[in-house]
Amino acid sequence: MQRYLAARLLALIPVLLGILAVVFLLIRLIPGDAVQLFLGTQVEMTPQQMAELRRFFGIDKPIPQQFLDYLGRILRGDLGVSLRTSRPVLGDILQRLPLSFQLASFALIVAMAIAVPLGIASAVTRNSTFDVLARVGGLLGLSMPNFWLGAMLILVFSRYLHVSFGQYVPLTQNPLGTLQSLYLPALALGAAIAAILMRYVRSSLLEVLGQEYIRTARGKGLRGTVVILRHALPNALIPVITVLGFQMGYLLGGTVIIEEIFALPGMGRLALQAIFQRDYPVVQGVVLVIALLFVMTNLVVDMLYAWIDPRIRYG
Amino acid sequence: MRFRRWMWLIVVALVLPALPVRAGPAGLTFTIGVDQEVVGLDPNLVTAFSSFRRIDFLYNKLVRYNDRLEIEPDLAESWEFPDPRTVVFRLRRGVKFHSGAEMTAEDVKFTLERVLNPETRSPGRSFIDVITAIETPDRYTVRLKMQFPLASLLSGLASANLSIVERAAVQRFGNLQRNVAGTGPFMMAEWVPDNFMRLAKNPNYFRRGMPRFDTLIIRVIPDQASLLAGVRTRSLDMATINQGSVITAARRESGLTVMQKAGLNLRIFAFNTTRPPFTDPRVRYAFSFAIDRNAIVNTAEFGYAAVSGPVPASTPWATPAAQFTSYRQNVERARQLLAEAGHPRGFTTRIVTSPTYEGGIAVAQVIQEQLRAIGVTATLENIEWGTYINRWVARDFDTMIELRGGDPDPDRFLYRTFHSTGAVNNFLFKDATIDRLLERGRVNLDPDRRKPIYVELEKALIEAAPALFLYTPMETQVLQGYVRGFKIIGNGALYFLEEAVAER
Repeated sequence: MQRYLAARLLALIPVLLGILAVVFLLIRLIPGDAVQLFLGTQVEMTPQQMAELRRFFGIDKPIPQQFLDYLGRILRGDLGVSLRTSRPVLGDILQRLPLSFQLASFALIVAMAIAVPLGIASAVTRNSTFDVLARVGGLLGLSMPNFWLGAMLILVFSRYLHVSFGQYVPLTQNPLGTLQSLYLPALALGAAIAAILMRYVRSSLLEVLGQEYIRTARGKGLRGTVVILRHALPNALIPVITVLGFQMGYLLGGTVIIEEIFALPGMGRLALQAIFQRDYPVVQGVVLVIALLFVMTNLVVDMLYAWIDPRIRYG
Repeated sequence: MRFRRWMWLIVVALVLPALPVRAGPAGLTFTIGVDQEVVGLDPNLVTAFSSFRRIDFLYNKLVRYNDRLEIEPDLAESWEFPDPRTVVFRLRRGVKFHSGAEMTAEDVKFTLERVLNPETRSPGRSFIDVITAIETPDRYTVRLKMQFPLASLLSGLASANLSIVERAAVQRFGNLQRNVAGTGPFMMAEWVPDNFMRLAKNPNYFRRGMPRFDTLIIRVIPDQASLLAGVRTRSLDMATINQGSVITAARRESGLTVMQKAGLNLRIFAFNTTRPPFTDPRVRYAFSFAIDRNAIVNTAEFGYAAVSGPVPASTPWATPAAQFTSYRQNVERARQLLAEAGHPRGFTTRIVTSPTYEGGIAVAQVIQEQLRAIGVTATLENIEWGTYINRWVARDFDTMIELRGGDPDPDRFLYRTFHSTGAVNNFLFKDATIDRLLERGRVNLDPDRRKPIYVELEKALIEAAPALFLYTPMETQVLQGYVRGFKIIGNGALYFLEEAVAER
C-alpha cells in the first residue's frame, strides 16, 4: 500500500509539469497582454512607457526563460504576484479555495441527498410509473444548464418568495451565513449532478440486487429494507464514488458561471478574470492548484475503494 | 426510521434560506451593488471607471461637478484667473485627512507634481501637462502657471485622477493602492476583494452633517439580473445597472426608483482612415446617411440613450442632433456618395466588436443590417475583450464599435481623440482644419467665444467622419423607494451619496 501511494504521488510530478507547460504557453499565445489590458482604450502611454511596464511585469523576456524562472520560484513555494493587483497569487487562491471547496461539497451533498433515495426507489420499483417518471426527471435535470437553473432560482426566490441570497460569509465567521449564501448555488449545481448520480445508483443497485448473496440474505428472512440498505447499497455505491470523485474535481474549478450569477468569490471567477486580463501568474497558479486538487481527489477516491471493499488491495 | 431522518433533512433544507442573516454593524448602513471590482485605490494611478467611482467616496478634488455638470468648489473654496495663463486657488481651512493631519497647499502641490511626473505614469497627466509651475505663497493658496491658456483645466482638475492625496502617506507607503490617505466622506474599514468593501463614516468630513449614514457597504455582484434581485429583496439599497433589459425589468417593479440621467460616454463607429475604401471621406460620410441612429438606440439600448454628435448630447456645448443633415437616414444620398467615390455597387468590409458592453455587439448587428441597403456587406468579427484591446492598440481594424469616455468640457475628449497628435486617435486621422479648430477651442477661456468654434468643429467632424457618432447611453441607478436625497450625475459619479439617507 505504501509503495502504491508513493508511486502515485511521484506520478503527480510529470502530470503537473506538463499541465503547467501547456498553460504557460497557451496564455501567452493569446493576443493582448497584461499591459494593454491594464491600460484599456482610454489611457495614453508612449511605447517606451509600455515597454517599461512590460519589463516591470517580467513579461518582456523570452518565453522559455520566463518558464524556467517560474519553475524556480514554484520549487520555493512562491507562486508569484498578480500583475494587476500586485497581491501574492498563493494568498488569493488560499482565500478563495475554502469557498470553492464548500460549494463543491455542498453541491455533492445535495446531489447525493436527491440521487440516492430516488435511485434506490427507482431500482426497487423497477419499470413502474415512479421509475419511469424518475428517469425522465433525471433526463430533464441533466439537460437543464445549471446557469439557467441558477438564474431561475434567483428569480423565484427573490420575486415570489422575497428571500435574498446573502453575500458569502466565511465558515469561521458564521456557519449559518455560509450555508445560506451557498444554498441556492449548491441546488443549481446539484440538480444536474443528481441526475447523473441517480442513474448510476439505479443501474448499479439493480446489478447488485441480482447477485446470489442477496438471495441468501432474503432467504435468511431479513427485512427488505435491511437487505437493500445494509447489504446491497454499500457495494452499489462503488461506481458512484468514482463519479463523485470526478465531479468534485470538475466542480472545484468549473463553477464559473454559477459564481458570476450568485456573486461568489470563488476560484472559477478568479481564473476567468485572470484569463480575460492576461494576468499570467494568477492563471498559472490557479490551474496548477486545481490540477493538483483534481489528481489528489482521485487518489483519495482510489484509497476509499480499498477501505470500502476489503477485496481490493493495492500491491 | 431512515426515512424520517431524510424528511428532517428536507425540511431543514427548505427552511434554511428563510432564516435571517446575522445582524450588520451598528448604526445606519447603506449597501450598494456594483458589477465590477476595483483593482487598486490610488487615485493618481488607476485607469478603470469602476475604480473612479470607488475613489469618489474616499477622496476629494480641488473642484468637482454638480448634478447640472457645472464646476463647483470641493477642496478649493474659490479661484481666480489673474491672467489667462495663471490660476490661483484658495483652499478650505481645517480640512483633515483620514489620518487626522490637516490638508494644506503642500499636499496639493505634491499631488499635482506626482501626477505630472512621467515616472508615476498617471492617466491624469495629459489633463494638466500644460502646467509649468506650481507655487504655494501660503498654507492655503496654490498658484498654477501654464504654458498657454487651457479652457479645460478646471475640468481636468475635477477628474478622479486628480484627487488630492496626503504627501506624508505617499512618502510612507510608496503608493496608495492598498492604503487610503484622503479627505473623503468615508474611510476604509474592511476590504475582501471580489466580495465586498466596508467603508466607515469620516467623522471629520469637512461638509458638516455628511454623510448621513455610518457605514457604506459596496458589494460586487457581476451579473446585472442578480443585482436587480438584490435590490428587489432589499439586500441592496442601490445598484448601478446599464443593461437595457434589466432596466426595463426594474421599471416594472413597484417600490423601486429608477433614476436616469443623460450620460457622457459616447458610442461611436470607428473607421481606420488609412485602410481603403475608408481613405475616402465620401465613403465614411455615406455611412452616416445610411444608418438610422434611432433604430440603433432602440435596439441596442432599449431606448435608454440620446442620439449625439461628437460633443456628448448631454452637455451645454453640444449642437442638438436634429440639426445635423446626415443624421436623417437617406439611403439615396448614401448611394450617391458611394458612387461618386467609385463604389456604385457597394463593397465588403469587417466590423470589430466584442460581447462586452463596451464592445457593442448589438450595435454592430444593427449597423450590419442597415448597411445592406447601400450594398455594403459587413462581416462581424466578434472577439474576446483582451483580443479587442490588442487590435485597438495595434490599430488593426477596418471598422470598430467603441465606447469612448466623454467629459463635460468638450476639449478634454475631442483633442486627444481627433487631433492628429491625439494619443487615443486610433482612427489615424489627420485633418489640418480640424486640428486648428481644436487648438483654438482649447485656449479660449471665454465661453461666448468658444461656443461658435465647437459648433463649427462638430460640423467639420461629422463631415470628415473619422467615426460615426451614434449616441450617449443614460446613466442609470436603481434605488429602493425609501432612499432620499441622492443626486445622479451624468458622469456616473456617486459622490452625492454623501447627501442620501435611507428612511426604511
